[in-house]
Amino acid sequence: MAVTSGAETRPAPGGPAPRRAPAAGGALSIAKKLLTLREGSIIVVTLVTFVYFAITTSNFVTANSFKSLLPYFAPLAIIAAGEVFVMILGEIDLSVGAVYLFTPFMWHVFHHAGLPLYPSIIIALLIAMLIGVVNGIFVAYVGIASFVATLGMLFLLDGLSLVISHSTPVQVPGTKIGAVNNFAQIFGGGTYSELFWAIGIVIVLQLVLSFSRWGIYTVSVGGNRLGAAEAGIRTRQILVRNFVLAALLSGFVGILEVVRTTSATPDPSGSNTILLEVVAAAIIGGTLMTGGDGTIVGALIGALFLGMLTEGLTIKGVSASYLDLYLGIAILIAMTLNVIVRRVRVGSGRG
Amino acid sequence: MAEQAFAGEHIVGPAEAPDDVLRVEHVAKRFGPITAIRDINLHLRKGEVLALLGDNGAGKSTMIKILSGFHKPDTGTMWLKGEPYLPKSVDDARAHGIDTVFQDLALVDQLSVYHNLFLRRERVHRPIPFLSNRLMKREARKALDEIGINIPSLDVPVARLSGGQRQAIAVARTVSGDADIILLDEPLAAMGAKEGAMILDLIARLKAEGNVSIVMILHNYVHVFAACDRVSLIQDGVIVLDKPTSETSVDELTEIVVEEYRRARLAERSGNGAGAAGASSAAPANPTSPDTAE
Repeated sequence: MAVTSGAETRPAPGGPAPRRAPAAGGALSIAKKLLTLREGSIIVVTLVTFVYFAITTSNFVTANSFKSLLPYFAPLAIIAAGEVFVMILGEIDLSVGAVYLFTPFMWHVFHHAGLPLYPSIIIALLIAMLIGVVNGIFVAYVGIASFVATLGMLFLLDGLSLVISHSTPVQVPGTKIGAVNNFAQIFGGGTYSELFWAIGIVIVLQLVLSFSRWGIYTVSVGGNRLGAAEAGIRTRQILVRNFVLAALLSGFVGILEVVRTTSATPDPSGSNTILLEVVAAAIIGGTLMTGGDGTIVGALIGALFLGMLTEGLTIKGVSASYLDLYLGIAILIAMTLNVIVRRVRVGSGRG
Repeated sequence: MAEQAFAGEHIVGPAEAPDDVLRVEHVAKRFGPITAIRDINLHLRKGEVLALLGDNGAGKSTMIKILSGFHKPDTGTMWLKGEPYLPKSVDDARAHGIDTVFQDLALVDQLSVYHNLFLRRERVHRPIPFLSNRLMKREARKALDEIGINIPSLDVPVARLSGGQRQAIAVARTVSGDADIILLDEPLAAMGAKEGAMILDLIARLKAEGNVSIVMILHNYVHVFAACDRVSLIQDGVIVLDKPTSETSVDELTEIVVEEYRRARLAERSGNGAGAAGASSAAPANPTSPDTAE
């Protein structure tokens, strides 16, 4: 932890931005203020990326391009919100992709067994939460490192998804190819449905993180687990609770996505890509892997950055084989800028 | 049951006074193969300041953590104001009026000064329980002013404060609560002379008001004789001396400690003191998980 003696201060969670003496250049002071935000660096990086694609391509800034970006970044933003809650604890949940894959099959199974639409969704989501409880118990009570516990859960659920589905895609309840009804409209099928869910969930969870007991207990458990326990915080309960949140959001996004595409495909490699992108979005957004610090809004912007990058590179006509290569380079550059900006923000030392 | 005493060892038995608020009898605690405390007998009178002394690893912090609800004792009994006392958690101990300043301070670096001050006692709005930061900040300022601690900004994360300031915040957090028994595990460790004097003043003031009773772990005998009414000295997990400060002296305390060191060396050399050596050398400073969480 870099501790500086200078007058530069970082806002504490929930606290107002630090006051500064008005600088001579207004733009400079605004830029400085922006950088003192936890999300400052990713906002700058995302803006730069946006301007770059806006200038170098003719059809990046269009409604169509925005619409095709939505299904990419909105699901990431929602799952990343849950992942951030786990990462602030200094833990990681590698099973979010697997829960995302698995939950829709549970929904299908219970609906197929005769349960109506909404009850079967609720049961599927309860099962997702139960998976979170199991993750949390392994980490908090059994004492297995979260990386290992959730890695086990990842394989378990991927395998279970393949077994249950007999490795074949299933038609999702409540949807018809080519016809979007009210239910589908709300739960993922509507053009902006996932965007609204993402924005709503991100706002609520950012408020919870910054302004509620749960939020500061999460920071406490991640920042000083022994101290949090001594202060009387039920650290294990917080651990379990946050794993449940991550699993619930992953399961929910799983349902939104299969409603959008009208079918559930047992494809573990696809869901594991989502996992990696979720973690990338959270880290790019300014959440530390070491715990104690993180931002939901930052993760949303991180997801937006990843989405823009993919969309922009596609529009530029980069061939599919080069896409991942460029994506990787761009992520490394973005993270490097992130670290440099954080260093400026914190004052000195390695962020 | 408590373990056997070693040859030549004097263990202070249970004692009591009519105005005891807290009493501890034959409390023992092991962590796996390591015996942290073997047989502790303590009592704390109303309004009294009791010093808990002893070498590193003697069992002082373990005893404090048992009283504060962080660890559960293996054996022994405790009474609080005449009622049997066995706290289920730190929160439970706090609900019983016992609050603690832990040796590691239990501060969260990333949280602001006022969030740390109100950790676990947060003020929230109604009906939606969002934090009332403004109220907490105002009360935090008041509490710090009353104690006389100068913290320029309450918004900064405590990571940015000095060791003494952090310690002062931890003390302020406990003192500003409504506990009537306060446990302090080395409250002066990271403090400069000025801050230390401020905390000693605060303790003297609390004592003068007479509403709280205090158990303090201290290392500096000057502080002991300046601030405390009585001393209990722990060695190898047992209490070997219990006297009012007016009836003992730095010389006597030093002599007991040196004597114990000689005895341990002797036992080691003659080869039959494995138990004594084990108990004195390896007691853990800070087992990391509470016995009582959930």
